[in-house]
Amino acid sequence: MARIGVDVGGTNTDLVLECGKGVFYHKVPTTLRNQSIGVVEGVMALCAKAGIEASDVETIVHGTTTATNITIENNGSECGMLTTEGFRDILHIGRHKRPFNFSLHFEVPWQSHPLVKRRNRIAISERITPPTGDIAVPLDEDAVRAACATFRRRGIDSVVIGFMFAFLNDAHERRAREIVLEEMPDAYVTLSSEVANVMREYERFSTAAMNCYVGPKTAFYLNDLESRLRNAGVTSKLRIMQSNGGVSTVDACARRPIRILMSGPAGGVIGGASEGEMTGVANVITVDIGGTSADISTIPDGTVKIMNPRDTYVGGHPVLTPMIDLVTIGAGGGSVAYVDEAGGFNVGPRSAGSEPGPACYGRGGVEPTVTDAQVVLGRLDPDMALGGDLALDADLARKAVETVAKSLGVSTIDAALGIIRVINNNMALAIRSNSVARGLDPRDFSIMPFGGAGPLHGVALAEAVSAKDVIIPVAPGITAAVGLLKTDLRYEHTEAVIVEIGASGEAELGRINAACALLRERAKAELDADGIAEAEQRIEIVAECRYRGQGFELRAAMPEGAVTAENKGLVAESFHAQHELDYGYAYPEQEVELITLRAIGSASVARIAIPEIAATDGSSTDRALMLVRPTTFDDGRTLETPRYDRRKLFAGDRIEGPAILVQHDSNTLVPPGYGAEVLAHGNIRIRPLGIA
Amino acid sequence: MNQMTMSKPVQSKSRMKVDPITLQVIRGAFETIAEEMGHVLYRMSFSSIIRESQDLGAGLFDTDFNTLCESESTPMHIGSIPGYLRGIAETLEDGEWYEGDVVVHNHPYFGSSHTPDLAIVAPVFVKGRLVGFAANTAHHVDIGAATPGLIIDVPDVFAEGMLFAGTKLYRKGEPNRAMWNFIRRNSRAAQQLVADIEAQVASARLGAKRFVELIEKYGEDKVFGAAGQLMDYSERLMRQRIGDIPDGEYVAEGWLDDDGRNRDQRLKVKVTVRVEGDGVEVDLTGSADQTPTAYNVPFEGSTKVAAYCAFRKLLLDAATSDVRAPSNEGSFRPVKVTAPLGSIFNPRAPASAEARFTQCNRMIDLILRALAPVMPEQVIAGSSASISFAAYSGVRPSGDYWVFLEVNEGAYGGRPRSDGPDSIDNLMANTRNNPLEDLAMHIPMICDRYELRDDVPPGAGEFRGGIGVVKSQRVLTSAFITHESERHTDAPWGAFGGQDGTVGKCLIYNAARPDEAREMPSKFSGLAVEANDVMAYYSPNGGGYGSPLKRPARKVLEDVLDGFCTVEHARAAYGVVVDLDAETVDIPATEALRTRMGG
Repeated sequence: MARIGVDVGGTNTDLVLECGKGVFYHKVPTTLRNQSIGVVEGVMALCAKAGIEASDVETIVHGTTTATNITIENNGSECGMLTTEGFRDILHIGRHKRPFNFSLHFEVPWQSHPLVKRRNRIAISERITPPTGDIAVPLDEDAVRAACATFRRRGIDSVVIGFMFAFLNDAHERRAREIVLEEMPDAYVTLSSEVANVMREYERFSTAAMNCYVGPKTAFYLNDLESRLRNAGVTSKLRIMQSNGGVSTVDACARRPIRILMSGPAGGVIGGASEGEMTGVANVITVDIGGTSADISTIPDGTVKIMNPRDTYVGGHPVLTPMIDLVTIGAGGGSVAYVDEAGGFNVGPRSAGSEPGPACYGRGGVEPTVTDAQVVLGRLDPDMALGGDLALDADLARKAVETVAKSLGVSTIDAALGIIRVINNNMALAIRSNSVARGLDPRDFSIMPFGGAGPLHGVALAEAVSAKDVIIPVAPGITAAVGLLKTDLRYEHTEAVIVEIGASGEAELGRINAACALLRERAKAELDADGIAEAEQRIEIVAECRYRGQGFELRAAMPEGAVTAENKGLVAESFHAQHELDYGYAYPEQEVELITLRAIGSASVARIAIPEIAATDGSSTDRALMLVRPTTFDDGRTLETPRYDRRKLFAGDRIEGPAILVQHDSNTLVPPGYGAEVLAHGNIRIRPLGIA
Repeated sequence: MNQMTMSKPVQSKSRMKVDPITLQVIRGAFETIAEEMGHVLYRMSFSSIIRESQDLGAGLFDTDFNTLCESESTPMHIGSIPGYLRGIAETLEDGEWYEGDVVVHNHPYFGSSHTPDLAIVAPVFVKGRLVGFAANTAHHVDIGAATPGLIIDVPDVFAEGMLFAGTKLYRKGEPNRAMWNFIRRNSRAAQQLVADIEAQVASARLGAKRFVELIEKYGEDKVFGAAGQLMDYSERLMRQRIGDIPDGEYVAEGWLDDDGRNRDQRLKVKVTVRVEGDGVEVDLTGSADQTPTAYNVPFEGSTKVAAYCAFRKLLLDAATSDVRAPSNEGSFRPVKVTAPLGSIFNPRAPASAEARFTQCNRMIDLILRALAPVMPEQVIAGSSASISFAAYSGVRPSGDYWVFLEVNEGAYGGRPRSDGPDSIDNLMANTRNNPLEDLAMHIPMICDRYELRDDVPPGAGEFRGGIGVVKSQRVLTSAFITHESERHTDAPWGAFGGQDGTVGKCLIYNAARPDEAREMPSKFSGLAVEANDVMAYYSPNGGGYGSPLKRPARKVLEDVLDGFCTVEHARAAYGVVVDLDAETVDIPATEALRTRMGG
């Protein structure tokens, strides 16, 4: 039985296969127009490489940017929307806050690229009354039918239904859907109360609209991929990576594509977390460095964190769906260094991308990038990039870096060091904002750098944030693909239950317990549909609470079993502790208000077993020595630095810096004063010499 | 009283020259600290005006009260804190700072922006020596003024509620319990006020802690050397851009509706922009005298801040500029602000000066108008340049007040390359609205309508003005409403052939009898209303930019289909003939009509 992980990136599609014969890796170019072509090609090639039949593949786990790209390219479906009379423009007004404080010529993404054009947002007479959810004005069913006629005339087949206060009573949304499906049987319909059954109209409507916007195309892609695989003789189950770090089925993702908007970066975080597990390190900060950006995520105690729902935006639109807590900053190998008109020195966020790319690619780029600086410093060997497949031009790199050196009045080497220092600092600040600013101390964490360029930055980042050490994954270039084979099934559902915990009586506790039961049922139904035996199912409920009067919820733990007058205090206590952790302060006297209950249903899936490598026989690491070249380190020293072939290192080998560990698509920098130790699976730990 | 002198001599800071790379590293650290301070404050706070509207500012300052960094929250706060710090220096309890002190300050004649914006300041000590301040400001729901929430028609500054000047909430780390008790007894929204001050204290202390860590890491010389260079950098950026404007004197005028009491007296705003080399002066001489109500602008904390804001938007546009200016004192230095003492932009004590936002926004709009002839590619047409700030309040059966402050949005003028954005916070304002569902679950109010305005069109132009909002809020019990707004009489200006926008309006009616609506003046105070009374606010629509006859017919059609424009308006203003049933433009008829109209 074999399993394959496929991660589609902007340039490459990375694949990893695990079967009885071992673990195999492969890379093919991403087919941008339809990612599924490259995926199928890659799967077939990888099966051939491993010497297995396509039909031997039991499961394929796929990380895709298809849904994300729709939001970047603004080419989603033309949608229609039914909404409450008087509130036609909720999606147009948003939260009425500008994207910039100091600007006259800014763009407003939700107005210039609306998810639903105003002409297709049709107001319907209906009214649900807060706080009870009683119906004050019945649904105007004729108006719904008339709207459908307009949609049909305009060729629209994706319909959002978002009514005010639907989180209190979804009867009108449901009835409207029945009518829409009578009038337009093939329509793709999303109810706001289904995708995000929570208070806050704009965020809920926006979530539903995003689902309809990316839905039809994403569904088409997933179904198309499945049938292409079938046609190629692959009969495996196809699972899709979701933004929350769990996998889901094609059917579920086709219905709720908003769950996979962050499918791409999620694989990397999970991959990083599992490398930590493999090496026995619980606290990990993953840094996934690509060409234009770096994704940073803090994983305390092996637990991937989920972002606060108030912070989950896609393309400027709020989307209420659980996403792994990561920060993305414009720092990558292609980040451009320049001196601005007032003499300020900047690196990024502008990037040379892959076209023209860094100057050293020789594709016409003349501005110096981070990659060029690495070449100038001798940390990337021009003749050895991608195992020699990508020839880099050191002269072009040097010329490009010279331009900023002149403006700064420093040597070319100092300018290159400066570029690296600024980009590392930008990443270090992002690490701090994702750790220190949330009450976590980086001194207890290991930095896990990956993406091809990651391991060149690992030690510098660890120094900058005072992290414990650095762990380099087995295959830094495809950590995200490996992560896909380490994820569990994971489904989430929410219910709005607005109750003051302290003041709650029998009736309120009854509502909470009823909602919990409903949520459990829904999570269970999804796991059942995946064929997960009941004993394997895990369902956890969390309470999203705030102090009465606040506006932002934090997660609190729920007691085991039913909530009772005796144990409800645990919820409040858990909330106080979380508030203290996140903000450094708590208000123990204040009433805690429950806003949303969330069920997280999950089930473990067999995880890829990365084989251990041979233990060292005590022989000299010279067996792996490739060559020795001068390399400049952050302290400004240029040292004759040996390059070692990572494939020829054994578990237990130790190498003292200065050294560079070379593999096909990634160089690991071990500065002087640091030592690298090869671990059991071939991962590498780097820390200052003199520490056991 | 506004011409304050420093209470202590300027320390001669060692200005170590920091290399450009370290400079960038320290800059990043400053910005992260300011953002963290702002984040903690708005996420923790209880009142919607802070947590949703983010009506707050936070940052670090040196002992000369220079801004070293400031959070990107609300522009009205950015640049206002130095005024507070200078005021505190004059009034500080004990006459000196101790480690562990925390001060509250809001006195408008000692540098505050206006009284509801309380500043919380924590001194930063390194090895027992004062090296700077971590401070923030936030708008509070109610500080016990004459009317709940907001005030307009009041006699003097003492009607604004509690006045704090250099008041210590903590001395050497010990709480001043008498003061906390006093505050708790003097607000209609005491629970929110006290909890939000606590959030401010937590944010200031966090900033102080991070400031010390930064100094420990890089050394005091390097940190302050870098801070000095970053200010010079911002100043240099600003001066370069000012240098590109032709020297000269540029003037624009406009009228404010009234002062909130004397209804028949419009108030003039006159802006003279003098550009000389790489410096600029904003002279408000010729503007109306100070008013007898609260409709005045504190000079230090608001008038100057608004002028700085105008030039930062105009010259260092964050959306289009490659270069990002650090938020510090440097960008203010090239801008001189003049307003005669005794005028609406520089009132004499004890005049009240709480309701000051719309005048500031109007000043910015007029600075743009004055410079339009020489900067046609940078300015935009007239915006709503107002605000709608509404205070709804009532008494619960328990005897406690509920108070809700709401900021309503405006609309932008058409721009040289794009339409004015619709229904969005304008110029100085940049808050978030309150979720309507959240509001209705917690306060005896409900929203009946929140949409784009469709009763009158925005200013037509090659790039049309933005469309204002209509928001109808209904109270479910008897209540009080105070509303601070503007622009019911003087419409936003059209630029370079674009048509003027449209004025705002405000109606009050009972939901059962909408036909009996009362049209309200733009400002009113403490109006008593009954259950099911509705206030419907219509914000002004922006002016157009460029001739409407140059707008592509295709875009006019899109506007008609989206209901941004009627078929009649498309024909009359744009010369475009639309067939609504076919959803097409009648091209021959349009060409003929546009020729007749002179396009």
